[in-house]
Amino acid sequence: MDPTSTEDGGGVSAVEGTELPASGNAKATPPTESARTLLTRRTIVFSFWAIVLGLGLPHWLWTTSTYRASLPLSTMNDWAEGKACDLRFAFPIRVRVPGWTREEMVELSGSLSALLDHDGSDGLLDFTIHVGNADEEPILPAHGDPALTVVLHAAGSPDTNGVTSRLEPGESALHLGSGLRQAGEIADQIREITSPQQEALAYLLSGTPFAVTEHGVLRATQNTWSEASLDARNTRAFKPSTTYHLSFSLFVPGNEPSAWAIEDALAAYMTPLLDALAGVSNFTVTTQVQLHASFSPSIAGPTFDEASGKWKLRKEDLSGFVNAAEWPLSPSIGEGSTINFVLYVPAPGHSPLVVADTGGTGWLVPQWGGVAILNLDEPTTPRKSTTDTDRTTLSAANLDEIMLTFADQLTALIGLPSSPAGSLALRIAALQRERATALLLSTASTLGALSRLVHKLPNIPIPDTVATSVGTSLRHLDHACQDLRAGRYSNTDTNLGALGNAQAASEASEKAFFEPSMVGQVYFPDEHKVAVYVPLLGPMGVPLVLAGVKELLGWYRGMREKVKRT
Amino acid sequence: MKLAQLLALPATLISAVLAIPEYSEHLHLRPLPNGYLYAGFNFTASTSLSAYESQHFRYFPRSLGQILKHSGTRELHLRFALGRWDDESWGSRPRDGKREGGTGVEIWAWLDSGGGKPAVEERWSSLVNSLSGLFCASLNFIDGTKTTRPVLSFEPEGMHRGGGGGMELLHGTLPHEVVCTENLTPFLKLLPCKGKAGISSLLDGHKVFDANWQTMSIDVRPVCHVGEECRLEIQQTVDIVLDIERSMRPRNDPIPRPRPVEELECDESKSYHASDTCYPRRKEGEMAWSLSKIFGTPVRGSCHVADGDESHDISLEVSRDRAVEVLQGGSNETLVSHGQSQHVRAIRLSDTAKHTDISLPQQIIQEAPHQEQPPLYASRQITGFGQERGGMHTVLHNPHTYPQRIVYLESLPWFLRPYMHTLKVLSHPTTSHNQPATPVKPDKMFYTPALDRERGTHLELLLTIPAQSTVELTYDFDKAILRYTEYPPDANRGFDVAPAIIRVLPPNSNSTAGNEKTQDSYLRTTSLLLPLPTPDFSMPYNVIILTSTVIALGFGSIFNLLVRRFVLAEEVPRSAVAVRVAWVVGKVRGVVGGLKGRMRVGGEGGGGGGTVVGFGGAADVRGGMNGGSGGAEGRKER
Repeated sequence: MDPTSTEDGGGVSAVEGTELPASGNAKATPPTESARTLLTRRTIVFSFWAIVLGLGLPHWLWTTSTYRASLPLSTMNDWAEGKACDLRFAFPIRVRVPGWTREEMVELSGSLSALLDHDGSDGLLDFTIHVGNADEEPILPAHGDPALTVVLHAAGSPDTNGVTSRLEPGESALHLGSGLRQAGEIADQIREITSPQQEALAYLLSGTPFAVTEHGVLRATQNTWSEASLDARNTRAFKPSTTYHLSFSLFVPGNEPSAWAIEDALAAYMTPLLDALAGVSNFTVTTQVQLHASFSPSIAGPTFDEASGKWKLRKEDLSGFVNAAEWPLSPSIGEGSTINFVLYVPAPGHSPLVVADTGGTGWLVPQWGGVAILNLDEPTTPRKSTTDTDRTTLSAANLDEIMLTFADQLTALIGLPSSPAGSLALRIAALQRERATALLLSTASTLGALSRLVHKLPNIPIPDTVATSVGTSLRHLDHACQDLRAGRYSNTDTNLGALGNAQAASEASEKAFFEPSMVGQVYFPDEHKVAVYVPLLGPMGVPLVLAGVKELLGWYRGMREKVKRT
Repeated sequence: MKLAQLLALPATLISAVLAIPEYSEHLHLRPLPNGYLYAGFNFTASTSLSAYESQHFRYFPRSLGQILKHSGTRELHLRFALGRWDDESWGSRPRDGKREGGTGVEIWAWLDSGGGKPAVEERWSSLVNSLSGLFCASLNFIDGTKTTRPVLSFEPEGMHRGGGGGMELLHGTLPHEVVCTENLTPFLKLLPCKGKAGISSLLDGHKVFDANWQTMSIDVRPVCHVGEECRLEIQQTVDIVLDIERSMRPRNDPIPRPRPVEELECDESKSYHASDTCYPRRKEGEMAWSLSKIFGTPVRGSCHVADGDESHDISLEVSRDRAVEVLQGGSNETLVSHGQSQHVRAIRLSDTAKHTDISLPQQIIQEAPHQEQPPLYASRQITGFGQERGGMHTVLHNPHTYPQRIVYLESLPWFLRPYMHTLKVLSHPTTSHNQPATPVKPDKMFYTPALDRERGTHLELLLTIPAQSTVELTYDFDKAILRYTEYPPDANRGFDVAPAIIRVLPPNSNSTAGNEKTQDSYLRTTSLLLPLPTPDFSMPYNVIILTSTVIALGFGSIFNLLVRRFVLAEEVPRSAVAVRVAWVVGKVRGVVGGLKGRMRVGGEGGGGGGTVVGFGGAADVRGGMNGGSGGAEGRKER
């Protein structure tokens, strides 16, 4: 059986059938309508539809639409995909050789530059060598501050003899002895200082769209040890922030000691470090004393070890040592993260208290803070003769060691690189570079996420503030990128610098992403829409649509007949 | 003038010599009539202002200190309260009602007024939001609609720099908030001994919130003493009234059960006393109780952490004849009253003893306990019926023989719209009922009308209540209709209206005699429930459907009238749709017929006779409707 032929046959017969009764039966036909009534009716139907389409539909669209400010989506995606910025880090080096003529220095710098450029091609740092004045007086920096000053003591002063190199803690200068006068030797020294930085930056970029293949070469050459240490450093450190709140707390299981000379101790040990770090972040400091602090019931507690005569804290208990439920360590108010430093003074009956395996008295809780245990001397020692206040107050001398521990923990918690060990200034500069990069990367990914979100949720309203924030963020990102390439890392009076721009960009992007009016999207499910629209559109829409279709068909037939007739 | 200076001199000397300790705590116990016990805990800690500015904290809680600094708060008063103080039988309120709050949560604070009104509001919102997190309370719901700025009712308690200029008072209430254990735990965390030692070890959520009346307060204010640096002082108090018998239920069996018949104490003098009838005998004298039985635990250790804190920890206000025993460590001694006050016995907790307990035996005391009469009795009700309007009715009764000046403060939610022209204040003496009521003219009146969804009503009246008379304050109000989304989940419960706060001003020293009071005192009425018209919450959809149906009905008939063409019934042409439907039906019928025919053919093993019959049947309906394979086959065969 052939289905197509039968269907055709049926269709033909059906058309015949409609015409048969009209002519065959003696049924009355309605009188033909006058053109005027037809026109009137069509005008009526047309005006109804005109109102529906011309007034109703725009009104409905207008009242139910959500306001979406236009966002520069393509630029945002460019940043997220790493196309908007080719990340390179300028590393200007100034060479100064007291006692040499300018020509000699230019020659040295020329050969240095050739050597460093040779292996710098696959690195992230762009070395540029400038010749400094031979004299001690500093020259005006034409290209921003040099990231490193190399001073070659060719004349050989008494303390810089031979093949030694020396870093000054407070300045970013490398002092070389007279034995290291060859360009190759100097380049090796510079490489030694900058390679941890290169590795750290490559580590940050790896896995992000900003990682270019040539960096991959560098990464492949990296040894696994440095990667593991970078991993550890990264997991410990807090997320970059403009402000950190440092909270120092003394926890005591009993009544005593109930006071500590924390202000003196902070002034002696913390303030210099915080002043040095001022270029990276702002710090606020609060302190508190908490008595009657008990251990959490979830840990086993210290056990007495007969052999050593010490109370030992098992390693598994360290994570639960801080009794988060009872110890008031609430985060500080305001922007920024809180870094907690907890000093625990065990009860005389439980002293000395140490960590079981290592015998240490301090440990670091990643991205939270540091803990230190202070074991006071045996109560039988001269303590009895001391006055009452000595018993209740921890003196600044007691706190010396603790403060050093806390300072060490602080550098780890904010992610200060450990090398080059000699110079704090170089380490802070390296931290600035890493911070700026990390912030830039996180901002780029935030903007990418926002762009995807806007794309995915077509109903979400976008207020103008979001568009402004995104604009600000993009502008600062551009500046940050340029600053990195030009070597303007820290902020000056006229320029925010790479770090400042990256921070501003990050803040603006977070503000845009976490816009409250976008987060709280009204839940209006489709069932509700059906419940609202169907009662109105059903009974009203059906006659309208039917009348419209009928008139259209009638008009179409009329046209066809007209064509046939002609 | 000279006399005043002479009197002032020792006071300054004392304050200069006796520096206030950095931390002190105190518990005051007083049995109330009908088997109740009042327990008032007070914890005071302080820090120097310079340490506060640099955020170094010792006994002052850091979490609160940070909030105050961040929000620019100069003085803070926070209250959590539950239950009702029965002034008829319990007398005047503890601490003159100054450390007491209205039901729910109440907060008022003086904030730095720098930066204009928006800056102050920003600070206020930051303060209530931070405190909300700290105390696990819904304080963050105190927004513009629940905030008022009272003028007369409150005065700063602290000594502020510049005479209190440059700061602004804001007051907020949450009458709906249910105070519970989750608010007490953070409260205890603020204390240096954290409820682990000293009198704070008695504070247990089960007992505190089982009380008939309970109020928790936190007050922070700057205090200055001559010759000393100003200090920031935090006073935390917990005042509770416990039902002694109820509190002494054994812990392992907390459910109240009927007593066995043998244990019932019956009044055998009654005529109807029998083996199956019992009229409970009235308890005679004072009940026996002890701290460990009432609070479930004795006082653990002591919390003497500050230098120079030599004061007593617990004081007990009982009749001089009452026997009081103190069990400290292993020793047991009788506590006798000190020289100066015969009714108060004081005890200092021992630093060495692990537990301290106070116990009192049952005793019959002849002397009636001394009770101070409250300055004023106040009650407030909502009158009227229906869902549209109502009225407020406050009764203030002055039992004293001298007139009293009071400040009456009401902060009403915006959906209660009072009509101030209906405000009537009438006074009539309590001694004789025949005298007509006389209107009282308020000395001062501050009124801020409500703005819908933005601001509540603030009404403050300065009144004088005549001696031994009752003043009735009434006004009418309208109940607003809320929006669909503004109703809470339990909309039919009603809406809480914050208690009225009444400040009784100290009488002018020269005007009245026979009254030593120089401090003002506060009292609060109970909170009210306002029933608002509550819709059926499926209403919007019902309304939509109903109106849509009506519109559709009207629209459909008018539209049809306009576009339909009217012809005679015979003239109606067969509609194309009907023809099409009939065609489809015929086709289906044909298919079915064909199938039937084929089955029959298959059974007979013959040709197409059945098919012809089936086609004939279909042909009767309409020629044009032949369709389907059966019909086509039949035609071919023919």
